[in-house]
Amino acid sequence: MSRSPALLGLPVDAHLVALLSLPAMGPARLHSLLATGVGPAVLWDRLGQGWPGPRPSVPGLGSKTEKVWTNWVEGARELELDMVWERLQQHEIGATILGGAAYPPRLAGDIDPPVVLFFQGRLDLITSPLVAIVGTRRCSRYGHDVARRMGRDLAAAGVGVVSGLAAGIDGAAHHGCLEAGGVPVGVVAAGLDTAYPRRHAQLHRDVATSGVLLGEAPPGITPERWRFPARNRIIAALADAVVVVESGERGGSMHTVAEALRRDIPVLAVPGPVGSVASAGTNQLLAEGAGLVTGAADVLLAIGHGARPGPRAEPPPPPDGEAGRVLELVPWRAVSVDQVCAQSELPVRQALDVIDRLVTAGHLARTGGFVERALAVPPNPDQR
Amino acid sequence: MIATISSATVLGVTGHPVRVEVHVANGLPAFNVVGQPDSSCREARDRTRAAIVSSKLTWPQARITVNLAPSALRKVGAHLDLAMALGILAASDQVPVEALDGIGVLGELGLDGSIRRLAGAVPLVDAVVGRRLVIPAASAVEAMVVGNHEVLPAFDLVGVVACLRGEVEWTRPPSVHPAPPPRSVPDLADVQGQPVARLAVEVAAAGGHNLLLIGPPGAGKTMLAQRLPGVLPPLDAVDSLEATRVHSAAGLTLPADGLIRHPPYRAPHHGASAVAMVGGGSATLRPGEISLATNGVLFLDELAEFPSSVLDALRQPLEEGVIRVSRASASATLPARFLLVGAMNPCPCGDGRGTDCRCTDAQRARYRRRLSGPLADRFDLRLEMGVPAVDELLTARRSETSIAVAARVLAARQRARTRGYRCNADIPASELDQFGALDVDATATLERALSDGTLSARGMHRLRRVALTLADLDERDRVARSDVVSALSMRASMAVMV
Repeated sequence: MSRSPALLGLPVDAHLVALLSLPAMGPARLHSLLATGVGPAVLWDRLGQGWPGPRPSVPGLGSKTEKVWTNWVEGARELELDMVWERLQQHEIGATILGGAAYPPRLAGDIDPPVVLFFQGRLDLITSPLVAIVGTRRCSRYGHDVARRMGRDLAAAGVGVVSGLAAGIDGAAHHGCLEAGGVPVGVVAAGLDTAYPRRHAQLHRDVATSGVLLGEAPPGITPERWRFPARNRIIAALADAVVVVESGERGGSMHTVAEALRRDIPVLAVPGPVGSVASAGTNQLLAEGAGLVTGAADVLLAIGHGARPGPRAEPPPPPDGEAGRVLELVPWRAVSVDQVCAQSELPVRQALDVIDRLVTAGHLARTGGFVERALAVPPNPDQR
Repeated sequence: MIATISSATVLGVTGHPVRVEVHVANGLPAFNVVGQPDSSCREARDRTRAAIVSSKLTWPQARITVNLAPSALRKVGAHLDLAMALGILAASDQVPVEALDGIGVLGELGLDGSIRRLAGAVPLVDAVVGRRLVIPAASAVEAMVVGNHEVLPAFDLVGVVACLRGEVEWTRPPSVHPAPPPRSVPDLADVQGQPVARLAVEVAAAGGHNLLLIGPPGAGKTMLAQRLPGVLPPLDAVDSLEATRVHSAAGLTLPADGLIRHPPYRAPHHGASAVAMVGGGSATLRPGEISLATNGVLFLDELAEFPSSVLDALRQPLEEGVIRVSRASASATLPARFLLVGAMNPCPCGDGRGTDCRCTDAQRARYRRRLSGPLADRFDLRLEMGVPAVDELLTARRSETSIAVAARVLAARQRARTRGYRCNADIPASELDQFGALDVDATATLERALSDGTLSARGMHRLRRVALTLADLDERDRVARSDVVSALSMRASMAVMV
């Protein structure tokens, strides 16, 4: 999609936001409407009146033309302008347009920049360096721990972390970043007033408070499927390097990788156990030439950032004796507690006790009846 | 002339005495049965007539009226045939009326005069008034079990009439066979490996805790459930009679010596209707699966496939231990005190955490939600199981036998009894501090679980009961840390996703 001169330099007002809120109205289609020569306010009124006069041709509608226009007309009639603007104010959502003064320079030079960008927090925090940490929603405990540790250590080294606030790797990376008091940059697919997924509502708020939350969709928009690849391209566009911690062979992260390659941004990946579904994609990336990273230090090297990662506490030493033997029985993927108890050859009550102590010490992670190895992430010594 | 004979009818699992009054008077020949007989009672007319004639006795050509008192109670079943026939014979002077004093009569008549076995003998026998009882020979053993009467076995109408006339001695009641060898219940030693699952079975049995097994097909859920009755102690006299009464009322065959001595095991299919599950079907308010499982185990496999209406119907019985069924004509309270075992897959495709699981998080959440909150709450033990690994199955280590485990279960149950409750699962939350006192380490572990969200406040009480059972099994007075740890391991969160 090329830049839309018709949109450049327009003030971002209620009409523009309301137009973007209409169903199936993306920037390209809006551009073709504005190309008729009228401003957003007039456009809005015309739609509300049922669009008297000939309709301009809008790209990409095909057989659905009638339906889409009907939806637009109905939407223009039903949507209250005041309410739209109020939602922006109420959630403290700012909006900036390509060519405007506040628009982030990083994105302005991109091959496919968002035309209208909504944000919460401080846009000026989008400074270099920024590293994207992305990955699968269904991550293993190992992936979660690696992402969190990396987010934390990068933040401690003064590098910002950009991610999509999805469940799994994205969330873990930002949690780590926030723990170290770093700058999180979040890019979401839905309107900024909707937290998706719902269990990350607090994370959304924290990212907006400590860093900045970005999105292309106006408030009130739900996260439709097509918006996710669109958001992934923004993540790639903002990053100095994209790190994929864990991904299946065909995940959303792979799309982010493709967008990074289009922009000649380095792609880095974390290795995982052979046979682990969650690492099938990342291992494949490594085979295809992505840089192998195991932690923040490797990432900093890749982006040529001089700072060393912050002081790292020593991980607790592996236990010996009975606890050590039981720990050896647990692989880096989830296995049932039953199996571990049986293999340990200890009386079952004793085995359960040992497992509990290992969980408390951080060597194992337990969910329900399953247990897996974890990287005992020690508390950050810098943080209270 | 009026003859009165003592008999009974069943509602639910309780028998009610019935007085059969027969009046034979001059008038146009007629035969009327009054007193709310159901259709099989009304058909007695044809059966008694044929039986009397086949027995070479005289059918009185007179106006015959049979009243089944009390008339407020609906009479169901064909077992009043014999009482009616004898009443008719007595009222027409073919049998001396005094001979029927103090005698209760039960039996269905065949057209040839033979006397048929009773369905639901035990509750009937319980309710019949009289020192002696005429009962079909095939049901004599059940009557002996109840033990309230001198049993007079009857084979056919001719025989009974002869005995009543004093022409022949009554047959001696059969001697009760000694208790047969215990039937083969599946043994817990069959389960290789899976020590935590076997512990859960032991804890469920010892404390009366309901058990939920979550796991993919092949994890061994059904196998474990089938072995739970084998580690429960045999029924005591009271429970045994109750179970026998319920099974008899449902028309099921009883063991050779007439008494159910071992905890019953019921495993209804998920297609069972709510009525089949809960009871109250047919005019007799027949007991359902939950009553048949009383004092035993009710196993619901594929829990998520049961209609929610059926699962909902379980909530009250689980709470109260009884089920009240009512129809327009009558109502009854049936026992419903059972150990519930449920089994379900972790997700719709069944694979759980395996690499082949293709369920989305939303599908998984929807599947888990089928088990409603209140019902999920009733499971004190929630065990997440995986398919056992090959080396676990081939291990040389022998698992303990049911006998060994049952001994511990019995000892633990006896400890629990001293607290004044049937089992630990019945102890109310308010008394947990008194009975289930925690030592210092245990309290710390419990607090940690509460603060990191592993345990809710409500879940805590359930967990403490389980921990108390674990302490009982170890023969300790105070609940220690290892009890709390083990209890936590057997309490998978229902919100668990991958």
